[in-house]
Amino acid sequence: MTFTTHFSHCSTSCNDNSKLFSSSSRSSPAIHYRFSGSRRLCRYRINSANGNPLKALPSLPISESAADYDYDDNVETGDSHSTLSITVVGASGDLAKKKIFPALFALYYEDWLPQNFRVFGYARTKMTDEELRNMISRTLTCRVDKREDCEQKMNNFLGRCFYQAGQYSSEEHFAELDTKLKEKEGGKSSNRLFYLSIPPNIFVDVVRCASLRASSATGWTRVIVEKPFGRDSESSAELTKCLKQYLTEEQIFRIDHYLGKELVENLSVLRFSNRVFEPLWSRDYIRNVQLIFSEDFGTEGRGGYFDNYGIIRDIMQNHLLQILTLFAMETPVSLDAEDIRNEKVKVLRSMKTLQLEDVTLGQYKGFSKGGKLYPGYTDDPTVPKDSITPTFAAAALFINNARWDGVPFLMKAGKALHTKRAEIRVQFRHVPGNLYKRNFGTDLDKATNELVLRVQPDEAIYLKINNKVPGLGMRLDRSDLNLLYKARYNSREIPDAYERLLLDAIEGERRLFIRSDELDAAWALFSPMLKELEEKRIVPELYPYGSRGPVGAHYLAAKHDVRWGDLSGDDS
Amino acid sequence: MASLSSAQYRSYSSNSFPPASSNGHRHNHRLLSFSSPIPRRSPPVVLCLQQSQGNSRPNVVLMEDGAVATPVNPAQKKEETVKKLEDGLLSSSGISTEELKEAAGFDVKENESSVSITVVGASGDLAKKKIFPALFALYYEGCLPKHFTVFGYARSKMTDAELRDMVSKTLTCRIDQRENCGEKIDQFLKRCFYHSGQYDSQEHFAALDKKLKEHEGGRESNRLFYLSIPPNIFIDAVKCASSSASAASGWTRVIVEKPFGRDSESSAALTKALKQYLTEDQIFRIDHYLGKELVENLSVLRFSNLIFEPLWSRQYIRNVQLIFSEDFGTEGRGGYFDNYGIIRDIMQNHLLQILALFAMETPVSLDAEDIRNEKVKVLRSMRTLRLEDVVIGQYKSHTRGGVTHPGYTDDKTVPKDSVTPTFAAAALFIDNPRWDGVPFLMKAGKALHSKGAEIRVQFRHVPGNLYNRNIGTDLDQATNELVIRVQPDEAIYLKINNKVPGLGMRLDRSNLNLLYSTRYSKEIPDAYERLLLDAIEGERRLFIRSDELDAAWSLFTPVLKELEEKRTIPEYYPYGSRGPVGAHYLAARYKVRWGDLGIEQ
Repeated sequence: MTFTTHFSHCSTSCNDNSKLFSSSSRSSPAIHYRFSGSRRLCRYRINSANGNPLKALPSLPISESAADYDYDDNVETGDSHSTLSITVVGASGDLAKKKIFPALFALYYEDWLPQNFRVFGYARTKMTDEELRNMISRTLTCRVDKREDCEQKMNNFLGRCFYQAGQYSSEEHFAELDTKLKEKEGGKSSNRLFYLSIPPNIFVDVVRCASLRASSATGWTRVIVEKPFGRDSESSAELTKCLKQYLTEEQIFRIDHYLGKELVENLSVLRFSNRVFEPLWSRDYIRNVQLIFSEDFGTEGRGGYFDNYGIIRDIMQNHLLQILTLFAMETPVSLDAEDIRNEKVKVLRSMKTLQLEDVTLGQYKGFSKGGKLYPGYTDDPTVPKDSITPTFAAAALFINNARWDGVPFLMKAGKALHTKRAEIRVQFRHVPGNLYKRNFGTDLDKATNELVLRVQPDEAIYLKINNKVPGLGMRLDRSDLNLLYKARYNSREIPDAYERLLLDAIEGERRLFIRSDELDAAWALFSPMLKELEEKRIVPELYPYGSRGPVGAHYLAAKHDVRWGDLSGDDS
Repeated sequence: MASLSSAQYRSYSSNSFPPASSNGHRHNHRLLSFSSPIPRRSPPVVLCLQQSQGNSRPNVVLMEDGAVATPVNPAQKKEETVKKLEDGLLSSSGISTEELKEAAGFDVKENESSVSITVVGASGDLAKKKIFPALFALYYEGCLPKHFTVFGYARSKMTDAELRDMVSKTLTCRIDQRENCGEKIDQFLKRCFYHSGQYDSQEHFAALDKKLKEHEGGRESNRLFYLSIPPNIFIDAVKCASSSASAASGWTRVIVEKPFGRDSESSAALTKALKQYLTEDQIFRIDHYLGKELVENLSVLRFSNLIFEPLWSRQYIRNVQLIFSEDFGTEGRGGYFDNYGIIRDIMQNHLLQILALFAMETPVSLDAEDIRNEKVKVLRSMRTLRLEDVVIGQYKSHTRGGVTHPGYTDDKTVPKDSVTPTFAAAALFIDNPRWDGVPFLMKAGKALHSKGAEIRVQFRHVPGNLYNRNIGTDLDQATNELVIRVQPDEAIYLKINNKVPGLGMRLDRSNLNLLYSTRYSKEIPDAYERLLLDAIEGERRLFIRSDELDAAWSLFTPVLKELEEKRTIPEYYPYGSRGPVGAHYLAARYKVRWGDLGIEQ
C-alpha cells in the first residue's frame, strides 16, 4: 500500500522526467547518429553470397584503431562530443560478475563500444574503484586465449571502471552517482544505460531513484531489466505499470538472453532468406514443433529464488515461448524492432491459453550412480522440504491461426536431466503416397524429415533426410544434411548472448527485447494454468537426478501424436 | 562338370558362411558380407538377391545409428531376429510376396537352375576393366546364384587358363586385404571359361551353346549375353546368339552397350534389327550412369522426403544444371569418339537420362515399367533442341609448367580437320505444367580443369526478401542451391543463407552437407555391379526401353544433323581450362549462372 502512495507521490515528477527524456533524446540527434549510425553500418555489413564484401558499405573498424583512444586523457581531450556511461546496479552480484562485466569487456576488446564510455558499478557493499576492478578482473577473459594485447586491453578497460556504493532505494545515493557520472562525462552530451542486476522486489525503487536522480540531462537514458518480470499476469502488469511511471516504453529493455543466442538470431535468417524453407513453414508440411531445454544439474544449493518460480516461469514462459513466437510468426514488414515485435505479439495472441491437461510436471529426486549420490530437489537446503515446485515441465501449445491450426508446439524444460542442451526440432509430415512406404515399416511418422536447430551446446543446424544406403539393393536410412558451426565457422567464436544484447541496448536496437504487450500476452497464456497448479497443489512426478525426465512427458506427446525427437534413440 | 561345380559350391559355402558363433569376429566387415551368414535353409545367394534387388524388394529402413525399423510382414521375422543379433549393424531384408515366390522358386529349383554369363568381346577393354571385376565383386559378395558360369567369347584364340590369367590381372577385392580374397579369386576363376569364335558365325555360337549346356548339366538354364563389341557387329552377334545359343528352358537376356545408333534413324534401325531376334524384355540397354549410387538416390530423395517434393517445380526451381567433366582428352583413343562427339557420347544418353529421372512425375510404383513410362513422358514433353541453344567446343593444346597437353586434333586417331565437339553446353526445356520455362542446362566436356559429374538445382530467390539489402544487387546470387555430386566424392549438399556468427548481421551461404565418405564407411559398388545384378534378376528399371531411346534421339537428332551439315566450327578452349566462354553466354541468355564455376567452387 505504501507502494501505491509512493507511486502517486512521484508520478508528477515522473511525467516531467519522461518529457525530459524524450526531448533530450531528440536534442542530440547528430551525436547519436554519428555513433550509432556508423556502428550500425558496421554491424550490418554483409557479404555477397560468394563471400566478397559488397562495394558501398564501410568495413569493420580494425581493432588496432582502438589504440587511438585507449587512454583516459585521450577521452577527455578527444574531439568526440558524446559519452556513454553504463551503470551496473547490483555490481557485486553473480550475474554481473559472470556475464555483464565480461560481456562489456568483450565488446570493448572487439572495439564495439563508443569512444567515450565508462562503466560504473553500483551496489550496497562498500568498495573502492580499485576493489571493484580487482573483482571484475578475475572474471575477464579474452575468450580465445592468448589473443593479442589482452593484458593491455584489460588494463585499459579496468581503467574505465568505477564504483559507487549506495542503497537501492536512496534517491540521495543515486544523486551522488549522478554527480560522479557528470564528473566523468566532462560536460559532454551523455547517454546512460542502467543494467538492473538486482532482485525483482527492488526493481521499482531503483528505477525510481535512477530516473529521478541519475537520468541523463542531454542524451538518452535506458534501463535493462532482467527476468523475472513478475510471476503471473497481475504481478507482471503491476511491475510494468510501475516501471512506466518513471520510464517510457522505449527506455525499458527487458532482456531475455535466449534471444541473444546465435541460432535464435539465425532462425529468422533461415526462414526468410531461404526459398527452400519458407514454403514448408506451415501446417501443410509441419507435423509438430518441439522446443527443448535441459540442464544436467539441479539447483545445487541455490534453490531459494527458483523455488518461488519453478521451471515453467523460469524457462518456458519466457525463453521457450520467445523462441516459439520467432519461429511461428508471419513475415514481418521489415526487420525493424517494432515490426518484428508486432508479429510476435500476434502469435502470442493467437495462442490457446494453456490448459492443465496439456502440462506434465516433474521434480527430480535423489539418485545414486556409481557410488555417487546426487541430491534430490528437496534435499537442497535452500528449498522447503515439502516443495512441489516443478523442476521439469512439458507442455503442448497451439496457435489458432491460419498457418498453424492443429500443429502441436511441444515444450519441454527440465533441470537435473541426463544432458544439457537447448534445441528446436521441427518434424515434418510423412510423404503422402510414399513410393518407398514399404521400406519404412508400419509407422510412417518415424521416417519423416526433421529439421533441428541446436541452440546450445555445439551450435548446429541439421536436416534429417531419407537417403539410400549406398550399395546394391535399396535400403533407406536417415542421414543428416549438416551444418555444424564448429566445422564451418571454426575461426570465429560465437559471442555470448549478453554481448549482443548489451550492444543492442547501447544502440537502441529493440528487436531482441521484450515489449510490454508481448510480456502481457505471454503471461496471459500461462497464468491461469500456473494458478490452478498452485491452488490445487498438483504434485509433480518424481524423476531421478540425471535421468531423461518423467515418463509423463511421453504420454503428453503421445496424446498429440508426437514423439520427442531428442529421446528417439538415434540422437541423444 | 556338374559334380565339379557342386563341389565348388560346397567349399564356397563353407568358407563364406561361418557358423553364427563367429559372427562376432566379423562385425567390422562390410554390410553386404553380413547379408550372407544367415543360417537358413535356402542358399545365401538367395538372401543376397533379396536384399540387393532393386526397388520392389526390401521393405526395411535402417534408422539412424543402425536401429532396425519394424518388420513389415511376419515372414521376415525370423530373418529379422537373426540379423538383429549381428551388432545391429545390418538392417534386415524384406521381401514382397513376389520375391517370396521367386525365392521359393530358387529353393525348389536350386539344383536345376543355372545362370551362364557370356561376355561377348571378352578380350576388350570394357570387359577387362569393368565386366569381369564387377562379376567377381558380385560373386565375392555372395550375390550371384549358386550355379553360375562365366564365358568369355571373342575372336582371339585363347585357352580357359589364358582367359583366367587375363581376367585375374584386373580383379581386386575393392578394399585390399579383405578376407579370403585370394581364395575367392581362385574359386571365381575356376568358373570362368573361354570360347573363341567369330561374331557372325552361327556355328561358333552353336559350339558355345554346346559348351554352355555341358556346364549347365541339365539344369534349367538362364543365359545372359553381355555384348561388349563395336556397334557394327551388334546385330550379327545377337542373331547368332539368339538363334544358336539361346537358353532352351530358362531366360535369355542380352545386355547392349552404347552407342545405340548415332541418330533417330540408325537407332531405330538398330532397334528394329534387335527386335527381329529378341523381344523387348530380352534387351537390356545399359547406361552405366543410371547405376551410379547418387542417381539411384535421386528418386529416394525426391519421393521419400516431404521437404523436397513441394519444391520440385517451376514454382521454386529457377534452373537445373547437369554437368559432366573429364580432366583428360581422348589421349590416343579418339577413333570411336570422333565419329560420335560429346553430345552423343554423354549428353543424349547419360545426362538426358538423369534429367528424365530428375524431372519425371511421381510414378505409380517403383516398378520398371512405371518408372520408364514417366521418363518417356518427360522426354516426349521436351522441346526439340535447337542449334541456337547449343554451344560446342573443342580443346586445343596448352602448355603449362613445361608440360604440353595435346589438342584434340593432335591425337593421331583423330582427323586433322575434325570439327567433332569435345565440349558442349545445351539449354533444354520441358513444356509441361511442372517445368514450363525452367531451363535445364547441360554441360559436358573433355580435357577440362576438373573431373566430376553433378546435378545442381538452383532455387528462385525469396520474394520480398527481408534480407535483400544484405544480398547486394543480384538477388539470384544468394539463392538456395541443391547439389548432388554423382562423382567423385559422392555428396549431397544444400546451400543455405545463414547468419555469420557474431555480433552484427552478415549473411553468407553455408552448406547443409551430406558427404558420403564421412557418413557411410562402406565403399560404393561400381555401377556395373548393380546393373549386371539387375540384369540377372530381370530388374529393368535402370535399363533403357526402346521408346525411351527413340524419344531421346528425336530431341537431339535435328540439331546433330544441322551441326554436321553446316560443319559448325567448335569454339576452341585450352586443354585443362574451364571450357569455352560460349557456355556462359548460353547460360546468360536464360538468366542462369553455372553453379560449378562460381568463386566458391
